[in-house]
Amino acid sequence: MVQKDIKPEDGILVVRNLTKRYGEKVVLDSISMAIEESKTTVIIGPSGCGKTVFLKHLIVLERPNEGEVYYRGKRIDNLSERELVPIRRKFGFCFQMGALFDSLTVYENIIFPLRQHYKITDWKAVDELVKQKLALVGMDGYQHYFPANLSGGQRKRIAIARAIVLNPEIILYDEPTTGLDPITADVINELILKLQRELKVTSVVVTHDMKSVYKIANRIVMLYKGRIIADGDAKHIQTHPNEIVQQFIQGKVGNAELEALRLSGTKFPTQFQPEDFQNR
Amino acid sequence: MIEPLGARTAACVEGFGRFGRFAGESFRAMGSTLFHPRSYYLVFYQMHVIGVKSVPVVMATGAFVGMILAIQAYGQLAAMGLEERLGVLINISVVKELGPVLAAVMLAGRVGGALTAELGTMNVTEQIAAVQSFGVSPIQYLVAPRVLACLLLTPFLIIYADLLGILGGFFVSVKQLGINAGAYWDYSARGVELWDVSTGILKGFFFGGAIAVISCYKGFNCREGARGVGEACTEAFVGCFISILALNYMFAVILSAIYKIFWPLQPLI
Repeated sequence: MVQKDIKPEDGILVVRNLTKRYGEKVVLDSISMAIEESKTTVIIGPSGCGKTVFLKHLIVLERPNEGEVYYRGKRIDNLSERELVPIRRKFGFCFQMGALFDSLTVYENIIFPLRQHYKITDWKAVDELVKQKLALVGMDGYQHYFPANLSGGQRKRIAIARAIVLNPEIILYDEPTTGLDPITADVINELILKLQRELKVTSVVVTHDMKSVYKIANRIVMLYKGRIIADGDAKHIQTHPNEIVQQFIQGKVGNAELEALRLSGTKFPTQFQPEDFQNR
Repeated sequence: MIEPLGARTAACVEGFGRFGRFAGESFRAMGSTLFHPRSYYLVFYQMHVIGVKSVPVVMATGAFVGMILAIQAYGQLAAMGLEERLGVLINISVVKELGPVLAAVMLAGRVGGALTAELGTMNVTEQIAAVQSFGVSPIQYLVAPRVLACLLLTPFLIIYADLLGILGGFFVSVKQLGINAGAYWDYSARGVELWDVSTGILKGFFFGGAIAVISCYKGFNCREGARGVGEACTEAFVGCFISILALNYMFAVILSAIYKIFWPLQPLI
């Protein structure tokens, strides 16, 4: 089901006819979608289909060429950076590579949003808050580490702790489980579920990880070449008639790609052969 | 032929426009930082990185400028029997032009390169977007403290460069070339006016502001990847260097006009 006539009040976040072009390349092609409050919406799709760009539009880190973005019925894509400040405070954004500030310690990274928006007088309460948020992602005790001394998975968990420090209404996750070991990935999935169940947080998750998708999603939206090709719950997606959707969710290579591989035979015509080259 | 030329001109004008807007926002954010003591800790940290850590290189630059001037000018002045006037030549050159300009060029290399590389890396690793995503202005948080620190401390660094330039020139002239110390200082004091010293220091504010704004702009707009950061650093240094020279020329014209207007009034003051 692809929604067409969407009103700004239809969800906590609404995009209408969102189009984004980089030069000649159309990355998002007239996307319309309403994101429901207190639900987890997962955006799936092959690499380069515009998932991250779409996510960035929701918090106006990117501005659309055409179309509108609404937060609680109010248009936000045309606001100035200053006008966006109170709106962005309601969001938490977890970047793909963590985007931790590498000159700050884990502790300083986590208190960053707090320190920028509030006057801190009770540092003991802040210490306790940081401890609590780090414990949520299983990273308590790492307060004085620098991001450079952490693994990719640890950085991602710290990024989530930082994203939730101001108790946001909406959390946007850009591939939160990519590159993590299966257990840590499941910890992240549980955390997303916990935040949604207990704090009624609205989550928008961009991911490739189908195991994670089935676990956390209330609604799954598939993007392909900048357009929505499937939208619904897990059952709807699993039984979707579109071949591209089925290939993607089952992780199967397409017939065209298979045929191309078969045609090339066992030896690639351009394959490197050491005997064709002289040693230095 | 006309089409690419037009496109390039349009891109160039657009680039200048974007830079102008960035500079305007930076100075507005800097003004706002001045009235928010809560952000002073960011400024003090940048003052340490930009100012305090640059003192040794700026002092070394100044000292070598003074010493080289003494060596180069001695032969010509001595041939005319005017070697005692070496102090005027060295000190006026150091405090008016060479001290401020070479200290600023040294800063463009040391501080400008570091600022561009730091902000460029932050840009490609999405740290700038992360600042923005928390409802914090990246210009307010990242650019304003750097511009403020650079703008406030460059004049002080120029004072260090001038001081060491004067001492370096004195050391070579008096200790090495054997010029009479009393005559050296006497001629210097007669030749170098307060105007010369203060205009040299005044330039520091503008040089510092230009270095910081250009370097931050290049860092904020750098392309992805190691090559993108490298190119941004090169562009930042070249931009800073050209701006320093252009500003210096502008100051030479304006200040000499001001001097000519007010110089006849000097005996009245």
